[in-house]
Amino acid sequence: MSKVVSRIVKSNTNSTLLLANNIIKTFRNGEQETCVLKGIDLTIPQGKMIALQGASGSGKSTLLNILGLLMRQTSGKLMLLDNSLTDLSDAELSNYRNRHLGFVFQYHNLLPDFTALENVAFPAAAPRGRLTADIKKRSLLLLDKVGLSDRSNFLASQLSGGQKQRVAIARSLINNPKLVFADEPTGNLDQDSAKQVMNLLRDINRTDNTTFLISTHDSNVAVNCDKIVRIADGKIAALLEDDIC
Amino acid sequence: MPFSLLVAWRYITANSLQTLLLVLGVSLSVVVFVFITALINGLSLFLTQEITSKIAHIELEPVNKIARVLTADSRFVAQPVSTLQRKQIRNWQQVIEIAESIPGVSVISPIVDGNAFLVRGEATQPIAIQGVEPSKIDAITKISSYIIKGTADLTTGGLIIGADLADELGLFVGTPVLLKSERGSERLLSITGIFRVGLSNLDQRVGFLSIRVARPLFDLPDGITSLGLKLDDPADAPAIAKILQNSTQLKSTPWQEKNKSLQNATDAQGRTGNFIQGFALLAIIISISSALLLSTYRRRAEIGIMRATGISRQFVATVFIFQGVFIGALGAFLGAAAGYQLCVQLASITKADGSAMLPIAPSEGSYMLVIILTIVGAALAAVLPARAASAVDPVEAIQQ
Repeated sequence: MSKVVSRIVKSNTNSTLLLANNIIKTFRNGEQETCVLKGIDLTIPQGKMIALQGASGSGKSTLLNILGLLMRQTSGKLMLLDNSLTDLSDAELSNYRNRHLGFVFQYHNLLPDFTALENVAFPAAAPRGRLTADIKKRSLLLLDKVGLSDRSNFLASQLSGGQKQRVAIARSLINNPKLVFADEPTGNLDQDSAKQVMNLLRDINRTDNTTFLISTHDSNVAVNCDKIVRIADGKIAALLEDDIC
Repeated sequence: MPFSLLVAWRYITANSLQTLLLVLGVSLSVVVFVFITALINGLSLFLTQEITSKIAHIELEPVNKIARVLTADSRFVAQPVSTLQRKQIRNWQQVIEIAESIPGVSVISPIVDGNAFLVRGEATQPIAIQGVEPSKIDAITKISSYIIKGTADLTTGGLIIGADLADELGLFVGTPVLLKSERGSERLLSITGIFRVGLSNLDQRVGFLSIRVARPLFDLPDGITSLGLKLDDPADAPAIAKILQNSTQLKSTPWQEKNKSLQNATDAQGRTGNFIQGFALLAIIISISSALLLSTYRRRAEIGIMRATGISRQFVATVFIFQGVFIGALGAFLGAAAGYQLCVQLASITKADGSAMLPIAPSEGSYMLVIILTIVGAALAAVLPARAASAVDPVEAIQQ
């Protein structure tokens, strides 16, 4: 572990949101084993915006999937809000994802047959079994926050790329997550839309103290974050804080 | 509305053409099911109606006396029964009273029957004589409606015979003919009517006489040989026959027992129908299952995003089960309605003689059964796609 990482881990002990300790991930393809993550130690403090950078094949997406509880590590320890997640069942991990984590993907992945409001409400309505008035109200507030309250009844397929990504951001916030994972959130957008989306994420981060872990190739996105974690060959190659970003 | 139901409905209405085709496919199978059921039940009803309209639903006869072995003073004694002993019901008026008190019994006809020969000149033909009360000539078989020459009036003491028998002996209405009974009695009778029922047994072998004329011919001055009963519902015959047997100690035979070949035939038809109905249901299950499996594949990314946002496998599976149930219910109701209409239309097509082209019974389409089976089958058909959907790996699906 680099000296910089050690410093961050120690300095944020009291506000640690997610702690990854010696995460190793190996993929097996027949007889061949490929080690993609080779012992990652990472602490994500609350209220920060962190960029995850690395070349293709560096293990960036795999790490994001493991930290987002979408994939299990081969070994290593993962703690969210001081709770160990290592031995949880699939259903328990789903429940954790739903209650504490939010996701924004590169290709927005909205449900095309549902309205913007329904897309935002989905992660809250499905576990509760009903699209209640409270959920609708909060969905509308979030759509208002991302500047799309006038598009709430538009089908996802009727929205532009930038609008879709803003709906996806609103969706990621519906359950008041502590941590939002964004995988190349601006990767599929034009420059103006990308800037709007980044400003929106930063605004949410500052006003709601929501933590963001953003995987990106874009240096313009990374420099807007509080910290940058660089990954190379399955290991953390560098960790830069905002004062040195 | 449960959210999973809303999602399922949105999915099946999102691609309305595909859903419409799928629902039409299910409906078509339901139509086949309804049509086959109505046809087989209709045929069974038609055959039963044909038979039961011409025969007694229950026959009451004296019990057969058989030789018994008795023990007396530690010795075995055989008690023979004379085959010449005349079987008869002496207390038949009492039996009629008992039968009349049983709900469901509509008509009771006392009968004096026996075998005889019809002699005309050199020609002789065997004939089964039914001696009935003239007012009850139509009680068991509506002979008057089958009369092709003469009348069904027995009050004049004449004989009514079948058309085939009349042809064989060259008999016409008014022709005198000699009747020789099995008891050795003879009587010259005049033919008063000739009938054609369409059943060769009746048209070739049976003749009707007034019971008053039949009594001396068969040596039965007081008793009768049997009682024929008609019921409101022929299907009740076994139950009522049992009641009658217990209360009269007479041999009581429901029509089903005497027409086992009909029962066997309708059973065989029923089994054939069950196969076709089974295949129709299988077609429903396969079509829904394959369409939903395709939908699962097409919506992998959407399912992936649901799973990524922490939505449970059960929710995803429920959405697909509900889709199956929706498609099944729509197809079942549409198919049942279309099947009923088809059956009604087919039942209204008649042949030149006015009888139905197909013995189809629109009311016998088992509509509730097919609706329930289709919905349950559709839900079962959705289980495999639902399992496949709930097993989607969010990481793989989103990367796609």
